[in-house]
Amino acid sequence: MRIYRPPPLSVAQQYLALRSNPICVGEGQMRCGSLTWEYEVQPSLLSRTYDIRISYSVGKKPQVLVRNPSLVELARPRRLPHVYQQDPTLLCLYRSTKGDWTARMHIAKTIVPWTALWLFFFEAWLASNEWKGGGEHPSDGDSRRRDLDPEER
Amino acid sequence: MNAVPRETLRESEIVGALEQICQALELTPNQHEEARRRYEAVGAWLGQSENRLLAQLTIYPHGSVALGTTVKPHGRFEHDVDLVSRAAGISPETLPSALKKAIGDRLKEHRRYSDIVEEKRRCWRVNYAGEFHLDITPSILNPRCLNGGELVPDKELSRWKTTNPQGYRDWFERLAQLQPRILFAKGMTEDRAYADRADVAPYPVQTPMKGVLRRTVQLSKRHRDIRFEHDTTGVAPISIIITTLLARAYEICAGKVYGSDLQLIRELIRLMPGLIAGPATTGDPAWTIWNPTTQAENFAEKWNSDAALPTAFFTWHAKLQSDVENMTSIFGFDELKKSLSESFGSRPVNRAMDAMIESVSAARERGGLHVSPRIGLTSTATAASTAVRGNTFFGAD
Repeated sequence: MRIYRPPPLSVAQQYLALRSNPICVGEGQMRCGSLTWEYEVQPSLLSRTYDIRISYSVGKKPQVLVRNPSLVELARPRRLPHVYQQDPTLLCLYRSTKGDWTARMHIAKTIVPWTALWLFFFEAWLASNEWKGGGEHPSDGDSRRRDLDPEER
Repeated sequence: MNAVPRETLRESEIVGALEQICQALELTPNQHEEARRRYEAVGAWLGQSENRLLAQLTIYPHGSVALGTTVKPHGRFEHDVDLVSRAAGISPETLPSALKKAIGDRLKEHRRYSDIVEEKRRCWRVNYAGEFHLDITPSILNPRCLNGGELVPDKELSRWKTTNPQGYRDWFERLAQLQPRILFAKGMTEDRAYADRADVAPYPVQTPMKGVLRRTVQLSKRHRDIRFEHDTTGVAPISIIITTLLARAYEICAGKVYGSDLQLIRELIRLMPGLIAGPATTGDPAWTIWNPTTQAENFAEKWNSDAALPTAFFTWHAKLQSDVENMTSIFGFDELKKSLSESFGSRPVNRAMDAMIESVSAARERGGLHVSPRIGLTSTATAASTAVRGNTFFGAD
């Protein structure tokens, strides 16, 4: 028996969903199978406002860059937890091999709310030095490290 | 439908944090119940004395326990539970020291109390280590007070001075029940007056949510405790002054409308100095903050012999006011936690902030977390919100 699996969403579908979701009001561009979307997010009423840029190309993972304020500055002298890259900061929001995200899912309904959640736990971490958002920390040499490559499929 | 202004939503969140801070500072319902049982037992023991002076004794709470404004003393484990033991039928000719001695003697006759009773200048302290201590002040009826006032010993125990703890409590309760209109209130509801009074008055019933007046008194007293943490000169403003000024301010605010509880809290604090008569405020020659419920009890009496006291009050008050005014201009959970900790101490603030994080985590775990356009993460779904799907944060560090 063959299980039906819907095809991946097109960049245009992803772009349209980002543009129409009121939780990520912003602006972006779409060309040649890739998109960028920039918006401001305040993860909770008590939080700062962060400038986010999401980049996505078909066949790759969405990248989430925090443009402003500098998370590295806020965290200093600590190193940021749960990131692909410290500076500029690329957030590590899910584990691809767990199927949290696939190209069949809307970025606006997954990556965008996870970004708010990540930033919420980031501020809680700043306040307490404890990451209360759960998750996994692969160690060096761990086979899971390939998940850390944002360019990887 | 009018949308709630975003600033008001933020203020409500801050009030939520303040509410949590107060809950972390006050006697818990269990502690209340325990204190009540203990003080009723003391009252019964004193009442069974054969000493003529104690024949018509009534014991009842006064101060913060009676008012519902308890704040755990900073750096100590024990809460203060202030009690009055009123001996009816005793004339002011009886020396205060004699009545105090009669109470002390009776306490020392008790197997348990004799080990934990301690003499203070004007009262007896029954000390339940690690929990609370009962401070028992003797009093008699004031034959010249038409408001049912009482007389308590002065510092030297040689004379009686006027006071009116029950009248004060009634006054405070009446005011606390007034309801300024809050357009967008968050959970701070007024509690009902305390239960019937018998010979041994039932202890105030603890209610889960308190009104803005009580909360503002608690926050102000805690702010005072933190500001004067290292002070050894004894100039910290006394609780009865803070409580009286805020209650009078609350009466002024009662007929008005405020956007949020926080706006009302700010207004109450702003009004405090204007309610003090004195050289630097109204131009009066002497400082006065009258007890509204009896004659000739000036809570600011000592200010007139020690200029450091009004100075300490006004300096502290300016800091309290600016701290409360600035709360809404702080962005970032970590920044808010830092600022609140400086104002109210890290212990209750940590507890409040942990509870807020925990509520997000709990909603996430049960799949009930959403992101809403104007407020961010929330457990309330709306047409415009997006559910937060399950995910596993990942990453090298």
